[in-house]
Amino acid sequence: MEIKTDVKESSLILLKQGAEARVFESNFVGKRSVIKERFSKKYRHPTLDSKITLKRLNAEARCMTKARRLGVSTPVLYSVDPVLHTLTFEYVDGPSVKDILLEFGSLGIIEERLDDIAFQIGDAIGKLHDGGLIHGDLTTSNMLLKSGTNQLVLIDFGLSSTSTLPEDKAVDLYVLERALLSIHSSCGNVMEWILAAYRKSSKQWSSTLNKLAQVRQRGRKRTMVG
Amino acid sequence: MKAFEINGDTVSLALFIDVTNSKELLDSMQAGTLEPEVAFLNASLIPDVFPVLAAAHKTLVSKSRESLTTRTLHSELVYNYSGSKHITESLKRCGISESTTYILAARFNVTLDEVKAVEKLIHGKEIDLEELKDRANQAQIQKQYKITAPELGISSLADAIVCRIAARDAL
Repeated sequence: MEIKTDVKESSLILLKQGAEARVFESNFVGKRSVIKERFSKKYRHPTLDSKITLKRLNAEARCMTKARRLGVSTPVLYSVDPVLHTLTFEYVDGPSVKDILLEFGSLGIIEERLDDIAFQIGDAIGKLHDGGLIHGDLTTSNMLLKSGTNQLVLIDFGLSSTSTLPEDKAVDLYVLERALLSIHSSCGNVMEWILAAYRKSSKQWSSTLNKLAQVRQRGRKRTMVG
Repeated sequence: MKAFEINGDTVSLALFIDVTNSKELLDSMQAGTLEPEVAFLNASLIPDVFPVLAAAHKTLVSKSRESLTTRTLHSELVYNYSGSKHITESLKRCGISESTTYILAARFNVTLDEVKAVEKLIHGKEIDLEELKDRANQAQIQKQYKITAPELGISSLADAIVCRIAARDAL
């Protein structure tokens, strides 16, 4: 039971709760940190549940650190706890891209700022994809802009995987495109700017963007007919 | 020594240059007669105290679960700091050798008497922990932790090390 105590000792503040995990704010040896706890699903068989949870926990840790090795900013990983199913990482102070774009929608667009954001997004995704990393959940709420430096930080690698297939990369971009269309249509065609930056950053842009055109025709899921 | 708190325990660190008796230290450590037990780290590989604290945190968690990989609490700290799974190599690279002159000493939950004993144990000049940054050997660190140029574009050396310490068992 001593396991429980080390979470209790530092004060925890619940920031967000999702379907797979809870996110808390805490303190890690003197630094402000975020703890992401994957909780168990009671409807799954306990053995299977703990296997799946652990596998996803480790995959997320791997993908986050791999992204950093590719030169894409993600929160610094402080600790992985396979017993409590938690990841502890750096607290990134700053608004999400979603908040900023929504603000542009209501208060008017600052063109220069929007260009910079779109460029950073395209550049980051290009680096990930060339390194064979698929983010899996590219939405504007999973992108933060660090206060002070305006550095783009990608978060939530919970659905990430590794793949070099143009198909997977195209679907990754398609998810972002749909997300942008659905909530940020007032910002104009941000996706166009993002793809322009992606083309500059990724060496394999051509096959990915060809695939993207096909994915647009049929949607995210592949047709399994024939 | 300077103490840092980690979830109710402490780890105390002291940095020494011009150490002349590393052979003796190494021998008594390997014989298990070091009194008190201390971890000696190759300070050239340490650009900041934070990665050491992250490794110490990991060590204390394993200790509380009785799941240490190495034989003692203090050797576990050296092993964890290395970010690798190879124990012998870790102790060789991140620990001290006969010729090491620049050493970071670390001890968990140290008492006042032990602080004096540790300072007596090491024949060298104690300097401020702030000096770690300027004295670190960046090339050696990059090689040990396989840190590439693109990563350093978005990360400090210390943060890159912390990620490797944390993610080791997930790889």
